[in-house]
Amino acid sequence: MGKTMIHKIIERSAGREVKVGDRVWCKIDLSTARDFGGANCVLQFQEVTDKKGKVWDPNKIAFTFDLQAPAHSEKVAVNQKIIRDFAREQGIEKVFDVNWGIGQHVLLEHGLVKPGDVILGTDSHMNLLGAVGAFATGVGNTDIVASWFEGTNWFRVPETMKITVTGRFARGVCMRDLLTKIVGDLGADGMFFKAVEFGGETIEAASLADRITLCSMVTEMSGKVGLIMPNGEVLDWLVERAGEEVRDRIKALAPDSDAVYSDDLHFDVDKLEPMASCPDAPDNVKTVREVAGNHVDQVHIGSCSNGRFEDIEAAYKVLEAGGFKVSPKVRTIITPATREVMRKCAAAGYIEKFLDAGIVFTNPTCSLCTAEHYGALPAGDVGVSTTNRNFIGKVGKGSHTYLMSPMSAMATAVRGVITDPRDILG
Amino acid sequence: MEKTILRGRAWVFGDDVDTDLIYHNKYLAETDPKKMPQYSFEYYPGKEHFAKEVKPGDFVVAGTNFGCGSSREHAVYCLKYAGVPVVLAENYSRIYYRNAINNGYPVLFIQGISQAIKDGKIEDGDELEVDLAKGEVKNVTKGTVFHGDAVADLEKDIMAAGGLIEYLKSRAEQ
Repeated sequence: MGKTMIHKIIERSAGREVKVGDRVWCKIDLSTARDFGGANCVLQFQEVTDKKGKVWDPNKIAFTFDLQAPAHSEKVAVNQKIIRDFAREQGIEKVFDVNWGIGQHVLLEHGLVKPGDVILGTDSHMNLLGAVGAFATGVGNTDIVASWFEGTNWFRVPETMKITVTGRFARGVCMRDLLTKIVGDLGADGMFFKAVEFGGETIEAASLADRITLCSMVTEMSGKVGLIMPNGEVLDWLVERAGEEVRDRIKALAPDSDAVYSDDLHFDVDKLEPMASCPDAPDNVKTVREVAGNHVDQVHIGSCSNGRFEDIEAAYKVLEAGGFKVSPKVRTIITPATREVMRKCAAAGYIEKFLDAGIVFTNPTCSLCTAEHYGALPAGDVGVSTTNRNFIGKVGKGSHTYLMSPMSAMATAVRGVITDPRDILG
Repeated sequence: MEKTILRGRAWVFGDDVDTDLIYHNKYLAETDPKKMPQYSFEYYPGKEHFAKEVKPGDFVVAGTNFGCGSSREHAVYCLKYAGVPVVLAENYSRIYYRNAINNGYPVLFIQGISQAIKDGKIEDGDELEVDLAKGEVKNVTKGTVFHGDAVADLEKDIMAAGGLIEYLKSRAEQ
């Protein structure tokens, strides 16, 4: 019986044959924590080891500062210091402080993620690293602390859902719209405990940014990880960052032709329209046309789902078509995912144009994934955002949020009401 | 687990209760688990009074996919340290499930409870009797019984040790 990607990744890491439903102990290649959850991990590790504990391998631990970077309050500042001090004591050198940006993206850019790696992090969207074939997953602080003991942790071997995507996106439509459609079709528990393999011509031709977008929302369907086998330009990019070993890993991890899948779904994007997750859940999905004209107070473009250069560039092109001006009726905020993304935006001349258009362009950070950062919404306000969750009151009690693509978000910023980007792009 | 038959009141929630509703991101900077109960369900419409009125021994009852969303372990601590002895849901989102098991915090998979909530067959304030060993939930107020599935063997062992850290420590000593 053939094996899927996750099956092969877990067997490699566990060092034995496994079958779906087995509980196995896997070796952890990288155990990470961020400014949120990181201090909880450090304090718990110190408590359970009477402050005498040494982590199993300082080279396999990383800290990232992204949720509230730079610190927005004294409490967060203290938490960040707890992490820095611990890293120094333990000899952990992979500390990406408040200047770097969103953790998973920073780790990826630094070549710390390879296909087949088993990676833990205190970010439920850690699994977006499946975009390069890594089994990364978000966990709580106890899982992180446990992994620091012996470099292992327990997992259930999941079923695999296969999703094949064909067709080409029409103008004004992108991977985020496909993703929103999938979330709407499958629902909040549509991938319950499963791994997912994305394939087909549309995925094979997709940029790394688009693959990240797709894999980032597996969490919103309660999936374990979405996996894409690196190929083409994405593979070249990854080899350049993470080394030649990437090619051998890919050969070893390709799913067997007779691999067994729990579900086999197909989506064609030729006729797909711009889509929106409406208030107050990611799976409350309509077309942007259906909600066009609705009132909006704030637009936000960024996050681990849609904060890469390609996302910001797509928004830039809508702004350009709209005459380089956003509506004064909305507050528009753009947050790049990482320092590298921000530098590219600067080099392309985009930042100046954004500022002149009346947009706030921030440092790289998570921004509007929490009510405790830039752009929190007051009660009664309606936001449009490219983040991944719009649960009721998520970024401010009594506020509501639509989730959309960077193009739809910028079209909305230009017109001041929810707008289909095709109305501006023509 | 000394006591396997528990009695208490029900606090009833729906399907897909996400971690922001259980414990809002506004309070993520908190690092002391014992201070977390004061924020439980503050953002859940109609349950804003939970933190003030919950009594040790009360049960949280919910439908499918309880605890979806974030990885925050705060969402387990805020119920555990409020004295809620067990969550009774149809099933759990994967990170919440791990976080509960890793803390030795019991969860039961209650068959049919999601539909029962929708049909009004279990409501806020109902008196429940829960047999943890048998996985049985009696709604004393309404005279109905629900059956639950236990967790798998490894999870049972981790729970029995008191949590993942305790499990690893005892394994290392052997």
